[in-house]
Amino acid sequence: MKRTTLILMALVVIFFALSWIFKAMAFKGVEEHYILQGFLVTLAAFLTLSIMSFLYKDNPFYKFAEHLFVGISAAFWMSMGFWSTIVGNLFPRLSEGMSNFFKVHYIPGDYNFFFYVPVILGILLLMRLSRNYGWISRWSLAFIVGTTAGLNFIRYLRSDFINQVSSTFVPLLVDWQGIGHFFSSLNLSASGQFIMMLANWVIFLGVMCGIIYFFFSKEHTGLFGRASRVGIWILMITFGASFGYTVMGRISLLVGRITFLFRDWLGLNI
Amino acid sequence: MKRQIPIFLVFVFGVFMVFQYFSPHEASEWIYKFLMDWIYIIGIFAMALGIWSLIHVSYDKIKHKRHDWGYSVVTLAALFTMMFFGITGFNENGEWGFYFMTQEGLTNPMFRNFFNHILVPIETTMFSLLAFFIASAAYRAFRARNVLATMLLVSALIVMLRFNPYFGDTFGFYMNKTAAWLLNVPNMAAKRAILIGIGLGMVGTALKVILGIERGYMGKG
Amino acid sequence: MRYIFVIFSLVFLTFSAGLAQVDTLGADSTLLNIAPPAPISNLTVYDKANDHGHALILEWKPSPDDAAGKNTVMMYEIYRSESPDGPFENIGSVPSGNSRYDNIGILEKEARDYIPDNTDLYYRVDAVTINPEIRTSSEIFGPVRSYSNWFHRGRVPVLFAVLIFGGLMMYFVSVARKGAELYVRPLAGIAAVDDAIGRATEMGRPILYILGLGTADMISTIASFTILSRVAKQVAEYQTQLIVPCYDPIVMTVAQEVVKSSYLDAGHPDAYNDDMVFYITTNQFAYVAAVNGIMMRELPATNVYMGKFYAESLILAETGAVAGSIQIAGTDEVGQLPFFIVACDYTLIGEELYAASAYLGREPLMLGSLKAQDYAKAAVIILSILGIIAANFGWTAFTNIFKVLD
Repeated sequence: MKRTTLILMALVVIFFALSWIFKAMAFKGVEEHYILQGFLVTLAAFLTLSIMSFLYKDNPFYKFAEHLFVGISAAFWMSMGFWSTIVGNLFPRLSEGMSNFFKVHYIPGDYNFFFYVPVILGILLLMRLSRNYGWISRWSLAFIVGTTAGLNFIRYLRSDFINQVSSTFVPLLVDWQGIGHFFSSLNLSASGQFIMMLANWVIFLGVMCGIIYFFFSKEHTGLFGRASRVGIWILMITFGASFGYTVMGRISLLVGRITFLFRDWLGLNI
Repeated sequence: MKRQIPIFLVFVFGVFMVFQYFSPHEASEWIYKFLMDWIYIIGIFAMALGIWSLIHVSYDKIKHKRHDWGYSVVTLAALFTMMFFGITGFNENGEWGFYFMTQEGLTNPMFRNFFNHILVPIETTMFSLLAFFIASAAYRAFRARNVLATMLLVSALIVMLRFNPYFGDTFGFYMNKTAAWLLNVPNMAAKRAILIGIGLGMVGTALKVILGIERGYMGKG
Repeated sequence: MRYIFVIFSLVFLTFSAGLAQVDTLGADSTLLNIAPPAPISNLTVYDKANDHGHALILEWKPSPDDAAGKNTVMMYEIYRSESPDGPFENIGSVPSGNSRYDNIGILEKEARDYIPDNTDLYYRVDAVTINPEIRTSSEIFGPVRSYSNWFHRGRVPVLFAVLIFGGLMMYFVSVARKGAELYVRPLAGIAAVDDAIGRATEMGRPILYILGLGTADMISTIASFTILSRVAKQVAEYQTQLIVPCYDPIVMTVAQEVVKSSYLDAGHPDAYNDDMVFYITTNQFAYVAAVNGIMMRELPATNVYMGKFYAESLILAETGAVAGSIQIAGTDEVGQLPFFIVACDYTLIGEELYAASAYLGREPLMLGSLKAQDYAKAAVIILSILGIIAANFGWTAFTNIFKVLD
């Protein structure tokens, strides 16, 4: 290791220790385990800064925080899954003894034996680890994929397809009350009717051009090509708008983190 | 055998789920409920595979002393410590054992501490980095390379600057109105076109999966 | 403490409402001698349509005393029994002014108000005054039965869509099977995949394939698996290195299977090992942190992002751009597309992701389904034009065809 790296490491350790001491002193009398709390808040600040240091470049502090994060989050997720699904959902259906052991209410039911099926499928899935019988795990995957493919088939046919198509059915001539009224009053631009109508036309033509852009099996030439060109323009304008719209929201996230560093850790009221 | 049975299973369950949607009958509702529960439970078994893979890759790195192997020790230590705290705890009488949730919440205070002071800070910091990344992405967009990129940039600028007070009343007003129009009108058109396309793509892919035409997920493209 | 306060306020409100009610009745009427109200009439009870059973709907004509000026009826209480002679059990109530009650049970037998199916039931509705003692019962309606329905009639439009789309698909797949040439327009992102693998080989750097945060059952992840299988096959042929970090364990399992068979197909089964496709963690930002690390340390020649992405899309794509990798992305998550478009070299937008698997394989069956999708799109355009004409002239009969009931 280079000398500068060692000095930097030493500085961080000293700074960490100082912060721990100061935070612990600040928590004394307020928190029961003030030494532990001091350590934890310092650790949180250290990890926050370590992650932020990635913006400069990849470095040992980021690597440490990253690997710690991976380990902790995987274990967190596993314990939650174990307690909520296995203990909370499966044991109460399968075994009274296990339910009592884990202090959950046993749910008696006529069809509880059905819950052996996912256990068997789960074990088949674990067969993946076997060199010779790994292919059996495909049965469980087939069950999951098949069930959800059927579910998604219907769900998207309905929500993204039928609903979206039927919502394009809007009158393009706003407040249509027969030709006479529509043209005689000539108040198109004055009352905002014109704007409304324009919006409906833009939406309609935009949707049509957008769909044309997504045609795969027809050459995009001539009129068709021009429509598809308009389609991609509208897509790009939209992507720009939603990009611009997200910027502010993202900046507020950063403000939240900076508030933590300054107020909760350094104790400055800003 | 190795491929036919899975494809048959996919077909049977896929077709069942399609029929299930059209049948509100009690029996069909029950089976639906069971199937959804099963998927969750199988997912937990899969979790073991995931953790196994994580341990295996990290252990391999340490064993062969690969580059940066020390950090894998950190991962494994964090994993086992957090798992220990996650599965055990103290009950009301102060006895140690397999406890987790009580009426007061999580039984193991260290689990909560690790969650609040390691997991949450890193997670929110990672999320907040988006502020920097969106800035650098905006800079990237500034070097608009073609007509399409320029259109994206211009509309992004209009929306980003819609509340900017330095534009003065008149120009600011038009800016704000244009931004609102962009967010309401073309946005709606494009989203709808994309959603219809996605809907068809999904439906097509789901159908191909059910019919056994698309088998990429089973390792056969 | 808060509950006591709430209960106290409720009691107080009930009393004051009651007193106000008494006032309008006139000076000489007290709580005790209100004339019994006229009963409700025309009570009908029928089975709720298109449901899983255990539900009945009651409708009636309100009591004549439930009207302005003669507000003696405070509420209607609903009673049910399994025999016309009783005993009748109170199962619910609605305030005066209502003429309908949905008696909906829950599937579980343990539910509070479990309504048995296929059993004769009898109903009665009481018009109740401010004094619960003073009430008038309706005539008993029954017997009536609740049924579970096998077919949901409100969903017929979806059934038609399934049949039409399924038919189109079958037709074009069979046409493709017979060997008809089907044209598909070029997609820049797809062509880039081949170049990118070649580039990685030349540079001697790995290819990073990210399947996103989707679970194995999401259609976008399934599309991504198919693309992965092509990429893996080519990678195996070129003897380049492939890195596939996963967010979901099932996705990891499937991805291992996919990559393994691709290596087998390419004739290099020995070059595959399970550590190419590995699990990181099921936490969005921990996953991102680790993948960012891989990008900066392994410096992949190409990053491929295909599947479901959320807020992490920008962090990943920007880091990849900083690391100097060629980036190809594809997602159906509309909100994340702008970020990929800005930070990646090629982006497959929405449906293009699904089309990509057909493009890469060039298998006639897959191309046939693309053709079916295009015909469905043409149908959308025609239907939309018809729909707009219908909406303009108020032909609701046409637009109603597309109404789907829950």
